[in-house]
Amino acid sequence: MSLHGVIAAFADPDALTQAARTMRDKGYRRMDAFSPFEVRGLAEILGMSRTRLPWAVLAGGIAGGLLVYALILYSVEIDYPVNVGGRPLHSWPPFMVIAFEAAILGAALAGFVGMLRANGLPQYYHPVFNAKTFTYAQGGKFYLLVEAADSKYRKGITRRQLTRLGAETVEDVEA
Amino acid sequence: MAEAVAVTAGKAQPQAPVLRGRHDFPEISGRISAIVLQGKLPRFFWAAFFVCFAFVLLFLYSITYLISVGVGAYGVNIPVVWGTMISSFVWWIGIGHAGTLISAVLLLLRQPWRASINRFAEAMTLFAVAMAGLYPILHLGRPWFFYWLLPLPNTHMHWPQWRSPLVWDFAAISTYASVSLLFWYMGLLPDLGVLRDRARSRAGQLFYGILALGWRGSAYHWARYRTVYFLMAALATPLVVSVHSIVALDFTYAITPGYHSTIFPPYFVAGALLSGFAMVLTIAIPLRWAFAVEDLITLRHMENAAKLMIAAGMIVIYGYASEAFFAWYSGQPYERAMMAQRAVGPYAPLFWIMLFCNCIVLQLLWLRRVRLNMPVLFSIALVINIGMWLERYVIVVTGPSRDYLPSSWGEQSLTWLDFGILFGSIGTFFALVFLFIRILPAITIFEVEELVDEKSGAA
Repeated sequence: MSLHGVIAAFADPDALTQAARTMRDKGYRRMDAFSPFEVRGLAEILGMSRTRLPWAVLAGGIAGGLLVYALILYSVEIDYPVNVGGRPLHSWPPFMVIAFEAAILGAALAGFVGMLRANGLPQYYHPVFNAKTFTYAQGGKFYLLVEAADSKYRKGITRRQLTRLGAETVEDVEA
Repeated sequence: MAEAVAVTAGKAQPQAPVLRGRHDFPEISGRISAIVLQGKLPRFFWAAFFVCFAFVLLFLYSITYLISVGVGAYGVNIPVVWGTMISSFVWWIGIGHAGTLISAVLLLLRQPWRASINRFAEAMTLFAVAMAGLYPILHLGRPWFFYWLLPLPNTHMHWPQWRSPLVWDFAAISTYASVSLLFWYMGLLPDLGVLRDRARSRAGQLFYGILALGWRGSAYHWARYRTVYFLMAALATPLVVSVHSIVALDFTYAITPGYHSTIFPPYFVAGALLSGFAMVLTIAIPLRWAFAVEDLITLRHMENAAKLMIAAGMIVIYGYASEAFFAWYSGQPYERAMMAQRAVGPYAPLFWIMLFCNCIVLQLLWLRRVRLNMPVLFSIALVINIGMWLERYVIVVTGPSRDYLPSSWGEQSLTWLDFGILFGSIGTFFALVFLFIRILPAITIFEVEELVDEKSGAA
């Protein structure tokens, strides 16, 4: 039975934010927090850097649009050129319509897949679910998890620090 | 807003709150998930479902009949080759648009009243788009060749005609369906986690557990989730406008009198919002009453939806007016004749009923008393639904029935199959809504909890 860390439950988002900030100031780096809805600013306090996902969305959009535009261009210029009364083969205004739709689709897919990949989902096993006090569903509690792998982690000391910060319960989490 | 009401009514009338009463987080997640997990459904739920299911059977029978006999089986013929299939298609797509507007545009505008209605509005979008998508395919004559619209390698060595609005339409609708599905599923993820943890049965835990992808509410996850969710909303907004504009281009690309008009794209988008909000109210009013969630989906939601209806409706009326004006101002005898034939020709009764529903009945929504009276609001929503279907039907059939050659003027007849497919699709739509309410949380748990948190923070 190895130890994943220690989890503390707080009554409200403000207490959790406060606790996370204090623990961060004490030098803890490997922490995670859990809440039934997003607590604004908490990820930054925990030390998360700005997410690069918007760039992935932009790249997906550009790729989708360009790919489909290239496909259309290939079909009308190279694979099956049809000369209708000398009109230009590359009539870009109507092609933009489909390229636009493809750009939106590419961007949305990139965003969704990128969000899952960056978050490591799907991940059906996670140690936090071993904690008896942890429940995502009940919605009433806000949790701070300090990993045992953190260099500052000392079993008794960390527990005491969390209790002093106003944690309702503190529990060791098995990996 | 409150000031404007005060000026018109002479005394201050506070707006209804977004959430009524006091709530806490376990209560919210418990109540909403109990609808799904404990199957605490009102007695008439399954009775109503089975009525809808009978229409599903009618739908299947009608489609089978249509495919085996051919498109001649319903009322289209030369010269009116676009009939109820196209008008119902436009109607359904329009209904879908209000769902995206609520979930995406109101998210971007940070409107707190969107939280408790966005989930079922998005579901409504998905089901409406699913119904809409079937119509053009059934209309093809040989529906089994619909994939020819896709750029697939095939033995004919041909490509789709990229310059055709019908191909744009295919691209737009399939993109819209895919993006709506992604957006909806992404919004569901945190709530599926709630259902997974609250489910008592093994089957429920497995079902919701697999769908929840292991969501655990980590702060890191929430931050990325929020970023992408907002971006998806920002993508869905221009998409909605483009989809219905492209649907309108299906018409305007043709030189048929009554179709060939530049006002169509914006006017169709406004019509989509009007009919979509009418459908939101058609679903929301019985839903909040049947499941006793009147404190979560409050009068504020209903009133705001009604206000958006009148806003979109006034643009639609402007569209009607400018359509008639352009027909006159063009000086083209055929355009003018077509417009006159709408008012006095064979389709005149439908035209006048449409004007009554969409222009006259709509004006009742200016009255606050009407907006807050649920039975009346529900009836108005139904009337607008009918009016908007008639609008699409009138636009679709009057043009081809009165085009440039008076010798080939003719009308469309409606057969039982037109109605079989229309009512069948309505029944299928509601059957899907019923199943959705049974299987997935119809109100967004995490966003309502966030509202509760903001409310308690403000108090």
